[in-house]
Order: sequence, then structure tokens, then C-alpha cells
Amino acid sequence: MSLTSLTFLFFGLMVLLIYFVVPKKIQWVVLLVSSVIFLFYDNLNVGTVIQALVVLVPTYFLGMAIYKNKDDAKKSKRYLILGILIILGQLIYLKYTNLFLVTGNHILNLFKVDYQFGLVHRNSLVGISYYSLIMISYLTDIYRGLVEPQKNIFKCALFMSYFPILTSGPFIRYDAIENELYGKHKFDYKRMCRGLVRILWGVFKILVISQRLGMFVDTVYGNLAKFDGFYTIIAILFFTLQLYTNFSGSIDVIMGISEIIGIKLPENFTLPFFSRSITELWRNWHITLGCWLKDYIFYPLLKSDFMQNLGKKCKEKFGKKTGKKIPMYLSMFIMWVLIGAWHEGAYTFIIGSGILQFIYIFLEETLAPVAEKVNKKLGIDTEKFSYKLYQMLRTYLLFSIAMIFFRATSVTNAIHIMKNAFVWNPWVLFDRTSLYKAGLDMYDFRILIYSLIIMFVVQLLARRGDIREKLFKQNIVFRWVCLYSLIFIILIFGCYGPGYDPAAFIYRQF
Amino acid sequence: MEREEVFERLNNVFRDVFDDDSIVVNENTTSNDIEDWDSLEHINLIVAVEQEFGMKFNMGEVTTMKNVGDMVNIILNRGK
Repeated sequence: MSLTSLTFLFFGLMVLLIYFVVPKKIQWVVLLVSSVIFLFYDNLNVGTVIQALVVLVPTYFLGMAIYKNKDDAKKSKRYLILGILIILGQLIYLKYTNLFLVTGNHILNLFKVDYQFGLVHRNSLVGISYYSLIMISYLTDIYRGLVEPQKNIFKCALFMSYFPILTSGPFIRYDAIENELYGKHKFDYKRMCRGLVRILWGVFKILVISQRLGMFVDTVYGNLAKFDGFYTIIAILFFTLQLYTNFSGSIDVIMGISEIIGIKLPENFTLPFFSRSITELWRNWHITLGCWLKDYIFYPLLKSDFMQNLGKKCKEKFGKKTGKKIPMYLSMFIMWVLIGAWHEGAYTFIIGSGILQFIYIFLEETLAPVAEKVNKKLGIDTEKFSYKLYQMLRTYLLFSIAMIFFRATSVTNAIHIMKNAFVWNPWVLFDRTSLYKAGLDMYDFRILIYSLIIMFVVQLLARRGDIREKLFKQNIVFRWVCLYSLIFIILIFGCYGPGYDPAAFIYRQF
Repeated sequence: MEREEVFERLNNVFRDVFDDDSIVVNENTTSNDIEDWDSLEHINLIVAVEQEFGMKFNMGEVTTMKNVGDMVNIILNRGK
């Protein structure tokens, strides 16, 4: 169920309506039933039901067992490991089999063996990458003594499948959400208004900006022989924005719905494109994934005996400062490969949102002292706006280059796209017709530029405080003009797929 | 073990980990007070403290302790 579909609109409205009508004691049941409907809406069969149960049932019972044996470190650790193995085992079986098969095929090719494994198609439930990790953190938190296990298996099922977060996150933590998830919520008019504004803002980002950018990107990437040079460069830069507006727009819709219900979710994005380095960008992009990996992979890895021993040996060999950094970078590398693989079990993702990001961060860290020396020698003031702007543009460019892999169909395809970008044809930017042949005409470009300006201005304003609160404090005329403008912009300028173009009726006839 | 003694031994650990002999920690010292104390150094610090006191923090404690006072509480509780 797509977050911007009419089905989801209807579904969301029904959930909210029923949620606030039923007795408060059973509000959580409404959420559970809706979540189960959402989970199986596109994909109901025996296999998928088993998939969900394979995560839920062991997590529930092992959670209890870990808690009961909390004084017996060995036993509780054994239960924890068993739980993680079951959840991860299923995730790997469903989502990563092809990655292993493809790797196997490459190895066979390398040794000139005349055999290839056939790839498999496995039907997995929506949100499996999210709820698998969420349940691992639940078990681990019980083990670490941070939370008590949920005694009611149905409530545990709701935590696992809370429907708003199944499509795009954010990752939730049991201790942070427990009270609100099962709690009683009164309908609150102001909360509803705030939630609705956030939903509209998300829909604006997705339908008006992201879909439009996608039309250009799809056209160029779909016909690399025809569109090269500056077409490719623009498509590369556009794709990053497309991804951001789609992803963060979905998060806005999700947060908006949850806010109306009365359940606060953690923020997942805070202005990544104003970041001055890739390190900073990742602190603002998919924040909850970063936190999850830090707490459940990076820290334990760094603290493990293996890394500590490695650190000791490296310190003896390379000195204290450098020696300390080697286990850190090794742990970081492992973490980034996992981040890439989490996105999708394919080499394009492992490279694009994994290894390349690691290389960027590694270079940023190791070259920082050199850059500092150069800047000092040349007398460059790094706190001046021009320098900050240069850093932001550089970050955006580097990130976009990595995202070529994210979008490409294969590693070869990604390299093809990169080569394509080096064709020299700057005239397509200025001859007033060429640029409009790649999926977006002049009107679309104008809408896109104005929408992007609106988005960035609003985001900059939001940096200085709660912008929705400020909007609600304005007088009624201004408030309604803003809201209606947003609604009409979405209705008129939104891209609703081929064959449906409301804007054509309204202004293209003139 | 007295609280003062724990602080004294912690001081040495901090000085060693952060390479700074001027560090003096107290109950309210946090990562904001020591320049190099970021999330990575935090793990190195934790491991060094574990070695000094012959005990183990669990990951829950590692991520939730708010200041050096919290750390001392955990160390003293473990010693009981």
C-alpha cells in the first residue's frame, strides 16, 4: 500500500476514525488490527503469515526467558543469540540468497567453471528489514537490562508491526514508545491539525517534487545512449534530491499520522543537504538507522575482545594515536558494508550506500589535518559563508556520485552512467529546447524550481524553531491561505502517474 | 573501596586515554568537558576503566551513563 495512494488515504482515515471512537482501553487493539491488515494487504498467504510468526513467537518467548535468567549471564546470552539467529536467519534467507548466488556465479566464472546458479525470487513481507532489526533491538535491550519484556503477545505483535513505520521507518525503541503505543489517547484538535500539516507537507514533497524529479531521472537513466553529458550530470544530481524528497516525504506522512494518533516517533531527517561533510550528512540522514547500528553493531564490535586485542597490537606497532584508530576504522568498515547490505542485498547498494560512504568518511577524517594546514597557509577563513557553501556543494556532489550505484541496475550500469557524464555537451543547457526533451518540459522545470525553493526556505525557517507552531499562531486568514495553497499545489501540480495530469487542464491550455 | 579512591584511579585512566595530564574528573564531568571525548573515545575509555577495576560494564550502562558520577556508582555497585 503506497503512502500516497487513495487506498492508504482511505485506510488512514478509517483507522483514525475507529481509533478515537472505540473505548480507550482497546485503542491499541485497533492499531494492532490495522497493522495486521497493512502488513498482509498486498501479500497474504500461508508463507507470509509464517514469516511474521517466525519473528514474533521466538522473540516473545525468548524475551521472557532472557529476563527470567537475567542473573545467569551465560544462559541469558544464549537465549539472546538464539533469538538473533532466528530473526537474522530468516532475513538473510528471504532477502540475501541472491547476493550469495551472484557471488557464487562470479567465483565460478573466475575459475572458468561452466555452471551458473539460477537466481531465486522470494516473497517477503513489507517492512521485514525494519521489524527484524526492531525485534533484535528489543531482545538486546531486555538482555542489557534496559527494558522489561512485554507480557501480552498481542501487544508484542503491535510493537513489531506498528503500521506507520513498516514502509520507511523510523526505527523505534521499545522503551521510548511503550507507554504511548499501548496508552490511551484522547482526540486532540490541535494535534490533528499539526499532524495534517505534516502529512500534506510530506505529500507535497513526494508528489510535486520527487515524482517530477523521477520523470527526468527515469528518462535519462532509461536511455543512456540518447542522453549523455549534462543530461546525465543533472540526472545524477536530481536523483539524490528525488531520493531525499521521497524518503523524507514518506517519513513526514508517517510522523503526521502517528502524531494524530498521539504516538511520537523519533525524527529520521534533519536537513542533510546543509551538511558540510559526509560525516555530518549521515548524522542528518536516516538518523534512526545510524543510531541502531551504532548501539547494536558498532559499539559492541569496538568493545569486543578481538578489536581490543587488535587495538593493543596496533598500538605497540604504530604508536598510540594511529594504533587506536585501526580497530575503529575496521569496525566502521564492517558497519558501512552492513548499512549498504541492509538497503538491499545487491553489490550496487553495498558499494553506493556502504563502502563509498566509508571511503568518504575515512578520507575526511584522515585528510582533515592536511586540509587544516593548507587552509592556514592560504589564509582561508573556513567559517565564511563562501567556504561553507563550497563544503555543502562538495558534500552533495560526493553523495550524489555514491547514489549512482543506489539507482543503477548493476555495477557495470553505474560505471556506464559515470562515463556518460563525461561527454561534453554544455549547449543542451542553453539552447532552450534540448533540456526539455528528457521527460520534463519547461513548465515542469519551473514548477520544480519553485517547489524546491519553497521546500528549502521552509526547512531553513524550521531550523529556527517549530514552524507548525509558528503557523498556528498566525491570524486565521494567513493560516488558511497557507494550508489551502499547499492543498491546491498538491492537487494541481502533483504527478499522479501517466495519463493523469490535472495541471494540463488548468494552465497549459492558455 | 571509597568513592574518593575510585575518582583517583579514574583520573589516571582518563589522563592516559585522553593523553592529557591536566584532566581532573568529578561527579558532574561529562563528555562536554573533555575535548576529545566523543562516542569513539567513549568505548576506549570504557574498556580502559574495565581493565583498571577488573569489572565489565554491560552495553546498556555504556550507552546510558550520563556523567562520571554515574560511572562511579556502577563501579561501586559492582564491587559490593
